[in-house]
Amino acid sequence: MIPLDELLVFSGLLFSIGIFGVLTRRNFIMLLISVEIIMNSAILNFVTFSAYSPSSSVAQAVSGQGIAVVLIGLAATEVALGLAIVLALNRIIGSVDVAKAMELRL
Amino acid sequence: MVGLDFFVYAFLVPLLPALAFVVLGLTGKSFRNGGGLLAVGAEGLALLLSVFFAYEESVSTTGIYHDSSFVWMGLPDGTNFVMGTLMSPLGALMLLVVNIVGFLVVVYSLEYMSHEEGLPRYYAELMLFLTAMNLVCLADNFLEFILAWELVGLCSYLLIGFFWKKPEAASAAKKAFLVTRVGDVLFFVGVFIFFTSLAGVVNPSITTLPYQGQVCPGGQVTWACAGFTFAPPNANSNAPFLAPGTITSPGYGSNLMTLAGLLILGGAAGKSAQFPLHTWLPDAMEGPTTVSALIHAATMVAAGVFLLAITSIYIGFTSTAALVILGIGSFTSLFAGTMGVVARDIKRVIAYSTMSQLGYMVMGVGASSLVLVGPGDAMFHLFTHAFFKALLFLSAGSVIHAVGTQDLFAMGGLLRKMPVTAFTMLIGALALSGIPPFSGFFSKDGLLALTWAASQHYAVALPFFLLALVGVFLTGFYIFRLWFLTFSGSHSRTPGLHGHEPSWIMRAPLVALAGLTLVAGVLPLFGGFANLLPGVQWGTLGYSYTSSGWVFSSSDLMVAIASLVLAFAGVGTAYVFWGNGRVFSLPENSWLRAPHTLLLRKYYFDEVYDGLAHGVILGVARGLDWFDRYVIDGTIHAFERLFSQASERGRRIQSGLVSNYASWIALGLVVLLVAIIYGIPWLDSLWGGG
Repeated sequence: MIPLDELLVFSGLLFSIGIFGVLTRRNFIMLLISVEIIMNSAILNFVTFSAYSPSSSVAQAVSGQGIAVVLIGLAATEVALGLAIVLALNRIIGSVDVAKAMELRL
Repeated sequence: MVGLDFFVYAFLVPLLPALAFVVLGLTGKSFRNGGGLLAVGAEGLALLLSVFFAYEESVSTTGIYHDSSFVWMGLPDGTNFVMGTLMSPLGALMLLVVNIVGFLVVVYSLEYMSHEEGLPRYYAELMLFLTAMNLVCLADNFLEFILAWELVGLCSYLLIGFFWKKPEAASAAKKAFLVTRVGDVLFFVGVFIFFTSLAGVVNPSITTLPYQGQVCPGGQVTWACAGFTFAPPNANSNAPFLAPGTITSPGYGSNLMTLAGLLILGGAAGKSAQFPLHTWLPDAMEGPTTVSALIHAATMVAAGVFLLAITSIYIGFTSTAALVILGIGSFTSLFAGTMGVVARDIKRVIAYSTMSQLGYMVMGVGASSLVLVGPGDAMFHLFTHAFFKALLFLSAGSVIHAVGTQDLFAMGGLLRKMPVTAFTMLIGALALSGIPPFSGFFSKDGLLALTWAASQHYAVALPFFLLALVGVFLTGFYIFRLWFLTFSGSHSRTPGLHGHEPSWIMRAPLVALAGLTLVAGVLPLFGGFANLLPGVQWGTLGYSYTSSGWVFSSSDLMVAIASLVLAFAGVGTAYVFWGNGRVFSLPENSWLRAPHTLLLRKYYFDEVYDGLAHGVILGVARGLDWFDRYVIDGTIHAFERLFSQASERGRRIQSGLVSNYASWIALGLVVLLVAIIYGIPWLDSLWGGG
């Protein structure tokens, strides 16, 4: 079994990479991918803690995995929504550069 | 005699005009001639009822009908504010006056006002006016009285300003409202004193108006006999309360009582146009003449005297208040007369005469309080005055209707063209001057004799008695100046002035009022009419009529002779100056020029009050305005600026750049992590590791 520390460090690395991507990328698609990476680090955390759960109850032990499945579904819908926004953005401003999408400002 | 059961229907007297008001106010435009006939009908019924009530009241042996069963507001401490009905001798007399004059004025209006615009409004307001005045007569407690009293003020405001397109009328209406308001505020404070201090919370029965004349066990209605619901809160206290049934000495009273009396005088002075709150009355002539007749004879100004009369039993507790009332009244009677001598406007002369006659009534109430009798003499003068004053105004209205001007110096020679009007006006003028056998002679004589009697007890009153005597001379002088200038001479001073008699609709009220003016003076001799005038001492030439027959008093004879001589002298002087179409005007360099100007400018009272308003009140208002603008508004604006500037700065954070928001989120995450990892243990250690 992979040690807990390594799993958590891996998850933390994934999270940091995702944050880095969100902060530095200006391409909307890259942003979406970064958000997906952040989400995957969270899912990894759920699965990890589920596996290392001290509880003897099976139901409790696998609950983290259940949440992971739900989160994967969530990520899929998020991507669908995100890509729809990208397409709409591309149609409106002719680019997928988030720096150019500043219509929200007052 | 039907019995007191019938008095249950007393509420109908105000209700009938009130219904007419509602109907006319809502649907007046659909009536022909603005619904005048409906008003005549409603007021006619009210008149019939009030004649009946007055008759019942005069022959009744139990005197007073009092129903206070309808509780308007009840307080937890047991104080009840009721809307009751009090049919008392004075109230019944007042109902009679109000509705007789009201009915005749409404009838007269049918023709006089027929060419005016806004007739439904006119009749509706007239009906509301009469409703309010009837309510004043029937109110059984101060609260109800104040409601009706305010309604009277409102209606006179509306009616004085009936020709609201004329700026003078609008401003006269405003003036009438504001000046009487000064008096009303005083009156309210006086009533609050009655409510709180004099009655005490223990005994709420003081909220009831004093019974207006009481029936003593013998069946005779007298002023102060028994049964006032005016008990001291604590029977052992030596507070200035009257033990039921006895008035020990005229000076019996306290400072608080004096104050309350003077404050009530303030209210009455405002409504009855007494010095120094008289300035609204001459300006009120901007209203239609019919309204002037109503206001001056029976409604607005009579309400003030009525208030004094019904509260005089309280005011009489302190001689100070009674003396001030006597003084104000007698001073006003002379003061107003002097201004009447120079006025050029036919209606203004009559207006000054109203002020002057009201002065006599107020003086009479003061005097009767001093000698501890009922205010019957003053109310008798109010009764007779109502008829001859309405007569004078309606006659003047007939003249104005015919010639289209109000300037006395433009008239003249109208006797032949308008004989009926001239004749009725002559009767009114004779009655006003106090020439026998017209009604004014008897009532004014009674007041003067009463004041003389008061001055025998209180020497301070003597100068005021003399002022009133001089007023008698002036009355005869100015009213006959008016009559001679209007009617005497062979031709009018304005070429082409065509006078003509009005139709019978206007003549009938004139003749009716002339008849009443002739008979009103001797009414107390007949039936129980004197019962309606508690304390009246009807008499003539020294003989007065009492329950035990005729009583002679030489001092009364002297007073009567003096007033008669002065009245005739006044009329004679007027004849010398103005009779036979003569027009007297002061020589340019006469020493009388300065006083003449003073009188024409009404003693500069308007200027002084305007100055007061502009200087003092406007100054205070400006100060308050500044405070409101810069202190109160300033504080709020400072907050407003604070927030708007803060958000102006804050909005710069909103770049619209998604990466920036993401950085903020990341930063927040870091802060949150730091807080959780380091902050929570730190807090735990702070609270002792709990």
